[in-house]
Amino acid sequence: MDGVTTFHSIGSSLDWIVMIVYFAAIMLFGSYFGRYTKSTSDFFFGGRRFAWWLITMSIVATGVGSHSFVKYSAKGFEHGMSSSITYLNDWFIFPFFLFGWLPIIVYSRVRSIPEYFEKRFSPSARFLATILLLLYMVGYIGIGFLTLGKALIPMLPEAFHLGGLTLPVTLMGAIIVVAIVTGIYITFGGQTAVIFTDLAQGAILLFAGLMLFGLGLVYLGGFHHFWDLLPVGWRLPFPDFNKPPDFNFAGIFWQDGIAGTIGFLFLNQGLIMRFMACKNVDEGRKAAAVNVLLVMPLSAIVVGGAGWIGKAISVAHPNVLAPNTSPDQVFVVVANIIASPGVFGFVMAALVAALMSTVDTLINATAAIFINDIYRPVKRFLKERKVTTRQRDREELFAARVASVGITILGVVAVLAFKNFPTVYEAHGYFHSTLTPPLAVAVFLGIFWKRFTPAAVIATFLGGVALMILGARYPGILIAPFDHGIAMNPDHPFSYIRALYNTVVCSGVGVLTVWTTGWQRGVAARVKDRTKILVALTAVGVLSFLVVAMGWGSFEVEILAAALVVVVIPLVVTATTSYDEEENTRGLTVWSIDAAKRMFKGGRTPNEFGGEPVPVSWKLIDDDGEGRIYLSAEDMETLEASPGDLVYLCDRRGWLGGLKSIHSVFGEPHDEPGVVFVNEDQVEHGLFAEGRPLVATKEM
Amino acid sequence: MYSTHLAAAGGALYDCPMSYFSHSWLPFIYQYGLGGIIFIIGIVLTLKAGSFSPRTNAKHKKWLSILILGFVWYLVMHGAWILAALGHEGWAVAGGVVVMVLAVITTWLTFHRSRGAV
Repeated sequence: MDGVTTFHSIGSSLDWIVMIVYFAAIMLFGSYFGRYTKSTSDFFFGGRRFAWWLITMSIVATGVGSHSFVKYSAKGFEHGMSSSITYLNDWFIFPFFLFGWLPIIVYSRVRSIPEYFEKRFSPSARFLATILLLLYMVGYIGIGFLTLGKALIPMLPEAFHLGGLTLPVTLMGAIIVVAIVTGIYITFGGQTAVIFTDLAQGAILLFAGLMLFGLGLVYLGGFHHFWDLLPVGWRLPFPDFNKPPDFNFAGIFWQDGIAGTIGFLFLNQGLIMRFMACKNVDEGRKAAAVNVLLVMPLSAIVVGGAGWIGKAISVAHPNVLAPNTSPDQVFVVVANIIASPGVFGFVMAALVAALMSTVDTLINATAAIFINDIYRPVKRFLKERKVTTRQRDREELFAARVASVGITILGVVAVLAFKNFPTVYEAHGYFHSTLTPPLAVAVFLGIFWKRFTPAAVIATFLGGVALMILGARYPGILIAPFDHGIAMNPDHPFSYIRALYNTVVCSGVGVLTVWTTGWQRGVAARVKDRTKILVALTAVGVLSFLVVAMGWGSFEVEILAAALVVVVIPLVVTATTSYDEEENTRGLTVWSIDAAKRMFKGGRTPNEFGGEPVPVSWKLIDDDGEGRIYLSAEDMETLEASPGDLVYLCDRRGWLGGLKSIHSVFGEPHDEPGVVFVNEDQVEHGLFAEGRPLVATKEM
Repeated sequence: MYSTHLAAAGGALYDCPMSYFSHSWLPFIYQYGLGGIIFIIGIVLTLKAGSFSPRTNAKHKKWLSILILGFVWYLVMHGAWILAALGHEGWAVAGGVVVMVLAVITTWLTFHRSRGAV
C-alpha cells in the first residue's frame, strides 16, 4: 500500500531465543500426548472423553488464533474498539446450536458434515458438500498461513546473507517455512495432541494478550489517559452503520454475526471435532456457553487491545508510532514498543503458536473429511481386500497423515487467492461472505426443516452458487438492493454485505424448491423411465450452470441460465434419487432428537432419570465378548442405572480432564460395592493406572 | 509518557461535531432487534420440536435461564459501553454492575448440578 510504513528486523536475539524455547516446549508437550493416539478415532476425535474446560481452552486457542491478533489489532488501530464487534455477536445463534446441531452431531455419530449430508439427503448431496467444504477448509487454512506470514515478516530481516548468497525474505517464503513446521507437528500428533497443546496455548494466549494490554495502559499512564486519548467514535463498541465500505456494521453483522457464526458453529469441522471430543452433550453445551459468554469478551480485548493501544500511542506520540503504520503490522510493532526484550519474544511466540494451533486444527479436520468422505468411499467402491479392523485402522491412520501433508501444501497455495487484499480482515470477510452461505443455508434448513429435500439441497448448492456468481459479476445490479446504503468499492465490491445477498439467494432457491416439490414429483413420475429426457434435462442443467460460471453471454442470458439451473436441477434430482422423508430425517433433524438418542443407545430407550456419580476402584476380568463393565447392585441404584444403560468411566483426578476414561455399557450387577469389573482392552484404552480410583457416571 | 495537552489535542483532532447515532444506538437496535428475533425463533423452534424441553427436564430449564441471561448480559454490556463512550459514566457504571451480577448468576447456573437428561 502506498504511504504506509512497514517494518523489518523488529526484536532482539533474546526474543528469538525465547520464541525457539517456547516452540520446542510446545512441540514436546504435543508429542507427549501424541502417544495417546492409537486409532483414527483418537487421531480425529480424541476418543469422545474430555471435560468442558479442556474443550473450552482448546476452542480459545482455535478461535482466537483464527480470528487472530493481527487482523483485529489492524482494525482496532484503524477504527478503534469497534474491532470487538466480531467477538460479541454470536449468542443469537446459540439456541439453534445448543439444542439443534450439537445433540444431532453427537447422537447421530456422524464423523463429518458431508456424512451428515449423505445420511440426511443423498450421496450426491454428500459429494457436493465435500467439494464445498474442502474449499472452505483449505481457504481457511490459507487465511491462517497468510496471517502467520504477516505476523512473522516484521520480525525478519529484509534478506538473509549466507556466504555470498542473498536470500530475500518474502511473505510466501515465510509461509512455506511455517507450513513445514506446522505440518510436522499435526502429522505426528493428531487430535489428542492438538487438544492438549491448545489447553496450554489457550491459557498462555489469554495471559499474553491481557498482559500486553496492561503494559500498554502503563505505558500511556493508566486507563483514564488511554480512554481520554481515544476520540469518541473510537471508544464505541460498534462501527458506523454503513460506512466506510471496508468496515461497517451492517455488512459485518451479516457476514460475521450470521453467516460467520453459522459457518463457525455448524460447518467448521475443526470446532465440531472439538465438541465430538467432549464426553457428553451437556459438557459440550458448557464448553460452548463458557466460551461465548466469558472467554469471547476477554478475547475481544486480547486480540484488539494492541490496536487500541497503538491508536492511543499514535495520537500521543506520533514520532514513536506513525499513524500511517501498516495495519497488519500494528500488533507486532506495538508489542515491540511496550514490551521489554524477552517479553516481546514471549508475546510473539504465543501469537504464532496460537495461529499454528488454528491451522493445526483445520488441517486435522480437513484430513478427517478426506478420510471419511473420499478415502473410505473410494476404498468401498474399489472393493478393497478383506483386512482386520486393526489393519484397516493402521492403513487409515497412515492415509490421514499423508493427507495432512497434502492439505498443508494446498493451504499454502490458497494464500495466493487472499494475499492481495489490503488487510487480512478484509480477505477473511470476503472469504466468509462468499463460501459460507450455500453450506450454511443447506445445513441449517436440513436440521430445522423436515421438508427440506435432496432436490432442495442440491438446488441450493448449484442454483444458489450460480446466483452468487452472478452477484459477484454484477454487484451494482444484484447486491446493491441489499447494501443498506454501503458504498460500493469497485476493487472489492461489497466485501461483507454480499453475505446477505448470498444467504437470501441460497435460502430462496432452497425454499422455492421445497414449495414446488409436488410439481417436481409429478413431472419426475412422467420422465423417470425415459432416459433420453433425463439425459437431456441433465445436459440443460449442466450447460446452464456453465453459461453462468464461465460468463458466456449477456446479463439477461446469464440470469435465464441461472433460472434454468434452479428449475431443471431439482427435476433431475427428484427423478433419480430415492428419498423417504421419514427414514432420512429420523434422528437427523431437530424434530427427532429422541430418535437420535435411541439410535445412540443401540435402539434401547434412553434412561433419563438423574442418579449420582459413584467412586469405584477397578478389578480386571476376562473379556466377556460384549465389552461391558460391571458394578454392584448398590452402586447401580445410586446411579439409577439398569443393565444396558450407557456409562462413562473416568479417572477420579478431575484435572486430567477425562484423558483417562472410557465409554461403555452397564452389565448385570454384582455384589461387591465400590468395585467395577473391567477387561484388559478397557484398561488399555482408558489408560487406567493400577490402584487409581475411578468415577462411574450414567450417560443415558 | 502522556500529557493532558496531548489528550485534548487528540480529542480535538478526531471529535468533529456530529451525531454518533449511526455509530452507537442504530447498530445496537439493529443487532439486538434483528438478533433478538433470530434468538427467539431459535428458542421457539427447538421448544416446538421437542429437542429443548425446560418444562420436563431440569437441566434444560437451567439452560433456558442461561440462554436468556446470556442475551441480556450482552445487551447490557453493549449498552453500558455505548453510554460510557458517549460520556454518561453514571449510567455506564450501573450497567457494569448489572453485567457483573448477570455473570455471577450465569456462571452459577452453568455449573450447578441439576438432574435430567443430557
